[in-house]
Amino acid sequence: MRRVLTSLAILFAAGTALAHGPTPQKIDQTITIRATPDAVWKVVGPFGGIGAWHPDVAKVEATGGDGAGAVRKVTLKRGGTLVEGLDEWKGAERTYSYRMSDPDLDALPVSSYSATLTVTPDGEGAKVEWMGRFYRGDTGNEPPENLSDAAGKEAMNRYFSEGLKGLKAKLESGPQR
Amino acid sequence: MRRARRLFGLAGLALAVGPADAGSVWVASQQGARAARIERPDGAPAAEVAVAPSPAVVAAGPGGRLYLSHPDGRAITVIAADGATRQWPVPGQPFGLAADPDGRFLYVGDWSGNRVLRLSAATGAVEAEVAVGPDPAGLTLGANGRLYVAEREGRSVGVVDTARMVRIAGIPVGDGPFALAHDPVRGRVYVANVRSNDLAVIDAGALKPVATLPVGASPYGVAVSPDGRRVVVTNQHAGTVSIVDADTLTVAATVPVGRYPEGVAILEGLAYVANWFSDDVSVVDLAARTETGRIPVPEGPRTLVAAQTAPVSAQAGR
Repeated sequence: MRRVLTSLAILFAAGTALAHGPTPQKIDQTITIRATPDAVWKVVGPFGGIGAWHPDVAKVEATGGDGAGAVRKVTLKRGGTLVEGLDEWKGAERTYSYRMSDPDLDALPVSSYSATLTVTPDGEGAKVEWMGRFYRGDTGNEPPENLSDAAGKEAMNRYFSEGLKGLKAKLESGPQR
Repeated sequence: MRRARRLFGLAGLALAVGPADAGSVWVASQQGARAARIERPDGAPAAEVAVAPSPAVVAAGPGGRLYLSHPDGRAITVIAADGATRQWPVPGQPFGLAADPDGRFLYVGDWSGNRVLRLSAATGAVEAEVAVGPDPAGLTLGANGRLYVAEREGRSVGVVDTARMVRIAGIPVGDGPFALAHDPVRGRVYVANVRSNDLAVIDAGALKPVATLPVGASPYGVAVSPDGRRVVVTNQHAGTVSIVDADTLTVAATVPVGRYPEGVAILEGLAYVANWFSDDVSVVDLAARTETGRIPVPEGPRTLVAAQTAPVSAQAGR
């Protein structure tokens, strides 16, 4: 019995936000936009420019431009701050990849994520894909409901979906190019 | 039901001929809850074995036996050479695995318990444990009964003397060591540091860092060719593998593969790479330094192992 309790104590003590955990989850969202890929990339490409198109974003503090190692601190309107580091930015291919630096469970109930955003031609317009990989907020074996795989999936899907819808609305409401 | 029976039939067929062939690669698919066997670099998996949900790491023991860890399910699956499966309950979050070549023990990293367990390979009973650094990820056995443990949140590799089950050293590496591989030819351990985007090289005997070289974004898996000349590192976030020349410790080539490449294994001059996001395995020709094929596998492939199908006695001299 004592051994069981010790094991449980260790398990709970390790359930911190730093813990990485065992089972990653996929996220993959796309949207088509009636604008040229270049026009879409001009808006969505700048790493520190997410505040210009993502409707959930209240404020962005960015350093490092679009170079590897650049950092953006994204404060959300509903609270919480996402600190994200840029891994790779390829303007010619209209794609960039970034990952979470520090978890903030108030911003998104996940403990680690990475993502890639890519713009490709789609007929007369453009297709934007935003895909990534994440772990639930509590990577222990008994996560509370608000930090479960399901909660993480719902929050990440909502954040990506709202962002892409905001991007589309911004581009399609402007003057025709 | 029909699918299950078909899979079972395939598994039985392929496993039955296993010991006589030239070797194969097994991949653990986490979402698909399957172990799939790849026999040919240009064909579909020859067999699939259904296992409990969310297997993460696959390891090979002697005699064609496989082990899979289930961190969310507190269990280890054992697949015998004839394809029969059974499960052992394990405390904590079993993740990293290493099977000793004599077939006596299985070492299991408990991710959230910060310890390594030694299980009897005969019964699955936990016989001993040793405390290690925070978030033990990959495990690999070296010479003289030493077990090397990637301590992800400790920025270190722990070294365990398995005869005594004592952690005898902690070697500083980069940020976020996740996967490691032992090279018996040069007496090294290679360590992929997922956050500092580099590969640390350790002298496995002296227990000291030798070198660190930059690779791609989020290095997540590492394997060494049997002759020790090449080290292959998967760059999970870049969608590439780095082929490292072990003599010069420089990156000889960077080869694009699928999305979110994770585990890697080498068999007969080919690297097999588990592309977690794109649900396939890339085959990379190490001499030509190109991807020569892609094999669809069950969803969420995470780790691979080149299975030892030669007799145990023939393994010892390699």
